[in-house]
Amino acid sequence: MTRHDATPLAGSFRDPSGFIFERDGVLYRQVNHFYSDDYDLLVQSGLYDSLVGEGLLIPHEEVSAPAAQPQTACRVIAPERLPFVSYPYEWCFSQLKDAALATLAIQKKAFEAGMWLKDSSAYNIQFAGGRPVLIDTLSFEKYREGQPWVAYRQFCQHFLAPLALMALRDVRLGQLMRVYIDGVPLDLASRLLPLKSRLRPSLLTHICLHARLQRRWADRSDQAAVSREGNISRRGFAGMVDSLEAAVRRLCWKPKGTEWATYYEDTNYTPAAFAHKQRIVGELIEAARPQTVWDLGANTGVFSRLAAGRARIVVSFDVDPAAVEKNYLECAGSQKAVLPLLADLTNPSPPLGWNLCERTSLIERGPADTVIALALVHHLAISNNVPLDMIMDFFEQICDTLIVEFAPKEDSQVQRLLATREDVFPDYTREGFEGALRSRFKISRCEELSESRRIIYLARSLRKTGW
Amino acid sequence: MRSVHAVLLGMVLAFALQANAHAYLDPGTGTYILWLLISGAVGALYAVKLYWSKIRSFFGGERSGKEQDSTAKQDGDDQA
Repeated sequence: MTRHDATPLAGSFRDPSGFIFERDGVLYRQVNHFYSDDYDLLVQSGLYDSLVGEGLLIPHEEVSAPAAQPQTACRVIAPERLPFVSYPYEWCFSQLKDAALATLAIQKKAFEAGMWLKDSSAYNIQFAGGRPVLIDTLSFEKYREGQPWVAYRQFCQHFLAPLALMALRDVRLGQLMRVYIDGVPLDLASRLLPLKSRLRPSLLTHICLHARLQRRWADRSDQAAVSREGNISRRGFAGMVDSLEAAVRRLCWKPKGTEWATYYEDTNYTPAAFAHKQRIVGELIEAARPQTVWDLGANTGVFSRLAAGRARIVVSFDVDPAAVEKNYLECAGSQKAVLPLLADLTNPSPPLGWNLCERTSLIERGPADTVIALALVHHLAISNNVPLDMIMDFFEQICDTLIVEFAPKEDSQVQRLLATREDVFPDYTREGFEGALRSRFKISRCEELSESRRIIYLARSLRKTGW
Repeated sequence: MRSVHAVLLGMVLAFALQANAHAYLDPGTGTYILWLLISGAVGALYAVKLYWSKIRSFFGGERSGKEQDSTAKQDGDDQA
């Protein structure tokens, strides 16, 4: 939706240094007088050029566009716009780890330039071209000699605690980031971590001792023996940041034993049928000519990579953390247009945060030009009991063009889903599927896969005119 | 013990008063105490690590970036 007014975006209100606003489809960031000296230092110290050159900071241009709130503004900048915004609870383990390491790399560079990060929110990191990049240009301020890192606790809550829980307890605990918008509380992380985590001095210190001291010193406000001198040496400061980096680097998670990560090695397609499917899907994507593609139930992203050469961005969703991890590691560095993300389509990301506006829902971040839904509908309809017309309602909300696969009850994968339950799906037939599809879309093409009973459709939303 | 707490808290408040001149995050008292308690030792270990890597590179020559990265991943932790 294009905004003609110039109001701050809902998620950009905590930092008084400035805010993001949109006008006539262009994204701007207002820099307030309050932050003027730090902004000048960022640019004049060469830190901005250095970070942008390394792909660690989003580039921007200083523009003469009017500010949204002129009484507090000192300048307006136009940052490069990203095609899709994702959130930490949608990232796999390695995405969160790479985001943490990027944050620390930025902090180290800032320290060398006489600055530091005044916040270290995971929401300030986005993935652009397959790499983590800091999107908040106003996160830097002049280093204060002798002071502890002001964003240290936030780093521990947003990065170190969830990574440690994912690596050492259960990878699904990354979803705690969806519950706690300012990161995982350290006392909770400390309670959930296994005892063996205490054997790592870094985790013992940055999480367990940190949590204990937070609890012990909560709500203390007596002002006895106030000293005005900061006591943290530069070496101590650098050592603490280096210690955080070493702690993050040591945390690893290897997918094993999950259901869908080996799907393509355990499928009912013959090689010929699979090759045929790839050719058909490639042709349908060509016909759809999308800029943005969402591949739902993408597994390890085989078809996302097929779409990547034909679209500006392909967001590659799957419910399985192992599949997303594998997809991310395979795409990193080579497939810059693919953004693998975790999504449970039966419970997709809702709007979160203050006034339910701070973090947008998955649906609000659409619609995509094209949605690819291959080998997905039978899981939604049979494993999750979602009626076919409700599935089409959902698809219609999130795309203009749909490439969807239907697997009939005779298909061996569908048989597997029905093997342990009663068949209460009389409408789950080709006719029932096409009827539901036609209620929301116009079917443009329909292809039967060779050596398979499956059918792939190209359909255009009835909302869109001209087809 | 009480006097130790009072001194620590005093130092923390001093930091907080300075840091909060512009900062919009509240780092928390416990976090400040943690830095006061351990940053000196962590910094000393960091210095040892830096000198050690200089000694190693002096005797062992410059290692490739890949080797450095994999070593960093393995020795990882444990200055804190």
